[in-house]
Amino acid sequence: MNTDNEVVHAADALTAWMSGVADATKKLARNVASLVERNLAGKSKAGTTALVGLDEVARAFLAGNSFAVGAGTFFAAESVEEGGRALEWWIRNNSGAMERLDADRTPGSNRYYDYEKLPFFSTAASTGEQTVWGPYIDYLGFEEYILTFTAPFSVHGHFTGVAGCDIRIKDLEPLLMPSLRAVSSHAALINASNRVILGNSGKYLVGERIKPGASGQHQTPLDVPHLGLSLVYTK
Amino acid sequence: MASPTPFQSQIYRSLPEIERADAIVERISKAIGLGLLKVGERLPPEAALSDMFGVGGATLREALAELRDQGVVETRRGRSGGTFVVNQPPTQTDAIRTWFLSTSISEIRDIGDEHSAIAATTVRLACERAEPHDFDRLQELARALVLATTPQVRAPADSRFHIELAVSAQSPRLVNAEIRLQEETVQQIWAPLAAALDPEAATAEHLELVRAVAQDQPERAQKLVLEHIKRNIFHLIDTKLSLSYAASSENANDLHE
Repeated sequence: MNTDNEVVHAADALTAWMSGVADATKKLARNVASLVERNLAGKSKAGTTALVGLDEVARAFLAGNSFAVGAGTFFAAESVEEGGRALEWWIRNNSGAMERLDADRTPGSNRYYDYEKLPFFSTAASTGEQTVWGPYIDYLGFEEYILTFTAPFSVHGHFTGVAGCDIRIKDLEPLLMPSLRAVSSHAALINASNRVILGNSGKYLVGERIKPGASGQHQTPLDVPHLGLSLVYTK
Repeated sequence: MASPTPFQSQIYRSLPEIERADAIVERISKAIGLGLLKVGERLPPEAALSDMFGVGGATLREALAELRDQGVVETRRGRSGGTFVVNQPPTQTDAIRTWFLSTSISEIRDIGDEHSAIAATTVRLACERAEPHDFDRLQELARALVLATTPQVRAPADSRFHIELAVSAQSPRLVNAEIRLQEETVQQIWAPLAAALDPEAATAEHLELVRAVAQDQPERAQKLVLEHIKRNIFHLIDTKLSLSYAASSENANDLHE
């Protein structure tokens, strides 16, 4: 079979998989939004009671989605009382048990995890749409090489934060490689900044950035709204 | 201090003696595999070994017994007795296969990134600091690779060349980093699992590298060593792809054809 058909098949398979993650992320954000709205009970800013139950939501997400290594919620500083930072993020540890991510939330401290500056938060906040960020090294957060899917959520019409999940790059490889290996030429899944998420050979290595428009290189966008993913391949 | 979480207790649990004995077996086997310990060489006396490893006599004897069972060392009695290295450890084909299956492409790429960083500075320093006797020695070590006829001896020949290149750069820290990186990958590079690597091509690259160092051409030496590492990393990734994903691509083709 020719490269074009192989590419269509691979693009369809990758689109279906990524859409599944995107839908799960949006559903998570909806669940978070309705829970926070109930918790706030008319108050405009979130205090400690606003977070009650979010741990359960995150753990349920991890339990139901084995591809994810982390899941939860980050609040915008302006939606939290007294300019605090608030997050409720859960991770699967090396022995498979779930534990809370303990990131430093004190601005100015050496290990301050300034999540509002990170694209998985800032892009979702500025566009109001779901997004994906990575591969990146989540320094001071989960501290692994990951991909993060997020969707923004609003309460009473005001942007309040983002909810989402992390996927370890190492875990993504066996899930997506069969689709990419079915393409007989060099092929890779890339993100909106032309960074390789996964390639089927040494030509496109995870983490490297490809030069768009290189000769002999073709690009097919994946039909997953707002994520900016494409499949590149050579012919 | 607050009582540790289950996760912390898991990390900080006391080490069973058996793991310490295994660690000694692995340390000595790797050292022989890399050529840091030679066949015929005598290990230090048992008391000195337990001291250096920081283990009790029983643990050390357990480790030496395991190495004897593998035929790697032999203990001789008498005045000129002691424990001697008598054989190369068996190539750990199963362990190497497991490494390929459990290591992701992103991790293999990352090993290459670190190795590139270490090697680039090593060859630049070698250009400045190595002297004629180093060039001769490195040439000899480069040729040893093409003379090696089995994977078991190619791996130590290859790593020896790279470690001695770092030695000629006069930096103990770079030598240590090079040893660690060699321990991590050299067996995998020469393991005949998928497509085999050509020792003649690798030797030619080593010799060209020695020439660049001898002629004090740091730019060229750096370019050569980075290409050399890139080729090794591509070889590891190709092996990984054929071991982990060969079946899936065949199946996918079956479905589509």
